[in-house]
Amino acid sequence: MSMLRPTSNGSGLLALFEESGRNVERTGSLLRDLLDDFPEHSSLARDILICEQEGDRITHDIIHEMTINGSKLDQRDAYELARALDDVVDYAEETADSLELYGVEAPMEQAQELAAVLADASVSVAEALAHLRADEDVSTQLIEIHRLENEGDRISREAIASLFKSGTDPMVVIRWKDIFESLEQAIDSCETVAHVIEGMRLKRR
Amino acid sequence: MQESQSVATPFAPASVPNVTGVRVQQGPIRLAVIDTDSGFVRVLGKRVGEMGWQHRILTAPPRPEDLLSMRLHALIVDLALLGPNGWEFLEHVCESVPGLGVIVCTGNSSVAQRVRGLRIGADDWITKPCHPQEVIARVEAVVRRRKRSVPGSTEDGPLLAGELEIRADQFQAFVGGQSIDLTRREFELLHLLAKARGRVLERDEIYQHVWGYAMVHGDRSVDVFVRKVRQKIERFSPDWTYIHTHFGIGYRFEPEAPDDEPAAEPAAEELPSGA
Repeated sequence: MSMLRPTSNGSGLLALFEESGRNVERTGSLLRDLLDDFPEHSSLARDILICEQEGDRITHDIIHEMTINGSKLDQRDAYELARALDDVVDYAEETADSLELYGVEAPMEQAQELAAVLADASVSVAEALAHLRADEDVSTQLIEIHRLENEGDRISREAIASLFKSGTDPMVVIRWKDIFESLEQAIDSCETVAHVIEGMRLKRR
Repeated sequence: MQESQSVATPFAPASVPNVTGVRVQQGPIRLAVIDTDSGFVRVLGKRVGEMGWQHRILTAPPRPEDLLSMRLHALIVDLALLGPNGWEFLEHVCESVPGLGVIVCTGNSSVAQRVRGLRIGADDWITKPCHPQEVIARVEAVVRRRKRSVPGSTEDGPLLAGELEIRADQFQAFVGGQSIDLTRREFELLHLLAKARGRVLERDEIYQHVWGYAMVHGDRSVDVFVRKVRQKIERFSPDWTYIHTHFGIGYRFEPEAPDDEPAAEPAAEELPSGA
């Protein structure tokens, strides 16, 4: 039995989710490149903003598809998935925007590590959504996303703790705490995507 | 470092550091007061605040490296607050932060104690009760004297290194008389490295001097600014190498001529004033 019993409208929705996954993957990759060599390629922030707008467009299309054509997918699941995917891109864009907004002059290694984790998690999200559409097993991707989320959690906790050592510039604390948190939220949203997909899989049984 | 609730205006960069980490006074005076006498510190804080000084009230002795990071011009300390460790603290601060003006402001003391304090390195000794205006005048006098005597002030001559001329009086570096267009922070970084005369400076040390705070683990600011300075120098002096990376440690300033041999002249020769 098909995992999600795609019909014509169901498969349209799955195609949109796959498109959203590719957008998440591109955003993660851009943010990693932006932070890796910051501030040398600051213009990548503009590309991330375009991804964020693209994410909004896809989310709108998903909701439109559900409203107009209906769906064989559980509407609540589909909405949750669309929202979590949108969140990944939104938090990534917020991170890129904060670098500019706070006048960050140089990156922190921990932010680079978190962005690398996000990029990897984004690849797994995109793969999971492609497999979802093809009705293939997604367990490898979901496990990897959970592992990466744990890794992100650990890096983020240590990074925030390092900000509160004696003698640190309070401006550094303010700006990097926000940036670490938005990066962590982007990674957490990848995990939310994994949870929703997992829920869909369980309902199939 | 413990601070009282009455911590005043956060310190903001106001001047250029010399290699000792102590600021050459140009903007408002930056003062820290180690004292728990609430009436005294409140009145003093109000008055110096009105004068546009930046001040910080501390209720416990900070570590000398924390004092360094505050980039102070002067420190007022009540030795009575520090108990038996007061002399040790005073000696340590005067040795570790040599350009800092230190004023002891304390209760009754014997001649022997005052002489001991001044010999250890305190610049002045004021006996309480005292008028805040007198304290302020003495701080001004100490800072004025320090300004005259601190090497690396804007009265210094330029540093010549390879094709590079580093002028603290203009906060700029030049090649063949042409400005290489450094920002203030880039200049401070280059000046610090050049003044270290071939010594490797660790990233943390550079950050503390140039940014005035302790470096957070993982902060890449020093690396990014070294890269910027290198790029700007390279535009005007492409054949020379000035800043060398010591991986995992920090950076060293040493001009090297085009033939890859170390320059025959000293790494950073300081010329007399007006040269």
